[in-house]
Amino acid sequence: MKCRVCDREAAGAYCDRHERAYQNLRERYEAWKQALDVSWKEYLAEVAQNENTGTWAKEVAEALLSRDES
Amino acid sequence: MGKYTLIVTEKPEAARRIAQALDKEGEPEEFKRRGVPCLRAFREGELVVVPALGHLYTVVHERGGRNYYPVFSFEWAPRHLAERGAKQVKAWIEVFSEMAENADSFIDACDYDLEGSLIGYCVLKYACGGKEGLAKRMKYSTLTKRELEKAYAELLPGLDFGLIKAGETRHEVDWLYGINLSRALTLAAQRSSRRYTTLSTGRVQGPSLRFMVEREREIRCFVPAAYWDIGAEVEIGGSAYEVEYEREKLGRRAEADAVVRACEGKAGEIKEVELREFQERPPTPFDIGTLQTEAYRHFGYTPRQTLDIAQRLYLQALISYPRTSSQKLPPVIDYRVILSSLSRGRDYEDLAAELLKRAELTPHEGEKEDPAHPAVYPTGSLPEAALSGPERKVLDLVVRRFMAVFGDPAVRQSMRVSIEVNGHLFYLRGRRILKEGWMRFYGPYVSSDEVLLPPLRKGDTVRLRRVTRQDKFTKPPPRYNPSSLLKKMEDEGIGTKATRADIIQTLYDRGYIRGRSITVTGLGFDVTEVLSGHCPSVVSVELTRGLEEKMELIQNGGEKRENVLLEAVEQLRPVLEGLKEDEEAIGEALSEALRRARMEERIVGPCPDCGTGSLMIIYSRRTGKRFIGCTNYFKNACRTSFPLPQKGTVRPAQRECGACGWPQVEVRMMGRRPWILCFNPRCPRKEERRP
Repeated sequence: MKCRVCDREAAGAYCDRHERAYQNLRERYEAWKQALDVSWKEYLAEVAQNENTGTWAKEVAEALLSRDES
Repeated sequence: MGKYTLIVTEKPEAARRIAQALDKEGEPEEFKRRGVPCLRAFREGELVVVPALGHLYTVVHERGGRNYYPVFSFEWAPRHLAERGAKQVKAWIEVFSEMAENADSFIDACDYDLEGSLIGYCVLKYACGGKEGLAKRMKYSTLTKRELEKAYAELLPGLDFGLIKAGETRHEVDWLYGINLSRALTLAAQRSSRRYTTLSTGRVQGPSLRFMVEREREIRCFVPAAYWDIGAEVEIGGSAYEVEYEREKLGRRAEADAVVRACEGKAGEIKEVELREFQERPPTPFDIGTLQTEAYRHFGYTPRQTLDIAQRLYLQALISYPRTSSQKLPPVIDYRVILSSLSRGRDYEDLAAELLKRAELTPHEGEKEDPAHPAVYPTGSLPEAALSGPERKVLDLVVRRFMAVFGDPAVRQSMRVSIEVNGHLFYLRGRRILKEGWMRFYGPYVSSDEVLLPPLRKGDTVRLRRVTRQDKFTKPPPRYNPSSLLKKMEDEGIGTKATRADIIQTLYDRGYIRGRSITVTGLGFDVTEVLSGHCPSVVSVELTRGLEEKMELIQNGGEKRENVLLEAVEQLRPVLEGLKEDEEAIGEALSEALRRARMEERIVGPCPDCGTGSLMIIYSRRTGKRFIGCTNYFKNACRTSFPLPQKGTVRPAQRECGACGWPQVEVRMMGRRPWILCFNPRCPRKEERRP
């Protein structure tokens, strides 16, 4: 199976690099929801353009957003 | 030529200083043999001083050949037989052999440390024909006349074999690890891709790279959390002062808005004024690690650069031996003599004179010790020739630090004023220096963060001039820089004071890391992932630290060289068998990593036309010429392309044009300085230059 983001080998949807970024995105959402009352999609859009977000986390957020749109 | 004493030194500059110091007239005769600069001096008898060129011998594989592993049998051999680019070593070894024939006594005057002792030992054993048992040892920490004469008068009766065995073992263990693991990686990649690229790792290199990979992973996977804080200013006596809200972080925007609403336009009352005085003790003398950290902090020099500069200053007899882990300054170095010499120069005249007035001089020493050398200190000698800018800066740092350690504690005062505004507390903080103490000597290197406040009393009222909500996001952990990485290696107990800077440089040279604020490259990631997956022990800190501890024991006779070597081989054997078994998979992973790294090296930046592709240096298959093209060209989505110079080498400059913001390339040609090229034909800077 290939990673949805980078085409590397993956056991699930993501390779081990992007899987960790995905898990971080999931974990952090609760805090954002409580602080700003944002939806998952709004959160992903915010995170994807935040300068402090790591590149792999950004790639996953963008991939999730584009899947959602398609 | 009659019989004489042959003195072996580590470098030509040291040979010159030693010969000058020991010659009765201070004017030794210089002569050359096969291009090697030797010196003849006269004291009680004739002395011939011959320098080495650092290590003249190295560990090599007994059988030779490059394309196989494991290799566990080794021997020491002249470097010119093992390394390309070490041809000159042959002449130096021949000169030692020749000069040893007529010598009746031998002195090893190389630097007194692991490497120096090993250099002298190898020369005496291999080049001079087994004279290591006869030789005496000169031990010194500075190349000043005074100390060299003393070291010569008080020669140690024999070589320091504990140190030599430890040095020998370290080279051998590192060779075993380096040669086997690097060959395993290189051959696996070569067999898979049919293309040769050197891939290396080693006993210390592997774990060091892993620290950075772990940090890089954290940074790349980082998702920030939103938080808020309150920015506020109060007005006191017509001036504005920043104040801090009682809570550093607020987890909800609504909470922050509520604070702003409650405080806006309100006056505050001073509830408390707390004053605290505390002493700040002087810094400790420089060991090489703290010198490298300070030089990075103040001048941006990498640990390798600082070590090189310090080495040059040492060879000019301006500072003591820099590769030391000591933070002690024993009285035997004679503080007063050094300060008197410093007081003769204009720059330190007043400061040194001030210290000399004291009845007693006691340095504030640190914990760390080094049996071979004291901390780094200035000799007080004046430079014989003009120093380069970096040399001047590092020397100034060493001199000021030396004086600062004798200073009195500084006294600082901190002030915290609690201001209540409509039920919310704000803090106004002030800091000032009450007594400079040692800071006066350390001068420009003291971080001064004084905030002076006007006199304030409990019950006073102040006006809140501004109160705003500030939207913030948590930040990823900082990247390592060469200095913090060196510190991390030191804290983890891997590598030595002499090797850490070189290891960091090797990681750069291999393309595993780049930048001052270190970024791990794709290749660095892939190599670490392959090693972690197939032989995790090789990148584990525990394994290398364990070996490090045992090697240190050899020095004191607590462990045998043979046992440590055996242990290293026993640890390596199963690792290498595993690597061989998985060679195909490893080869594929590494070839793919190298392919990606080569692509990465050619990516210049994002395409300014289509916005989705990347600009890349491309070589035309038809004409062989190079140009910049968009990666979307291959998808028929973008036809952007730009010409490039066809001579020399071109690579991405990793920076953008200041005028148009386009990515730039660096062009290098023989005999010319490299230059940065903006390939945007419509760059405003180019337009300006057009007639």
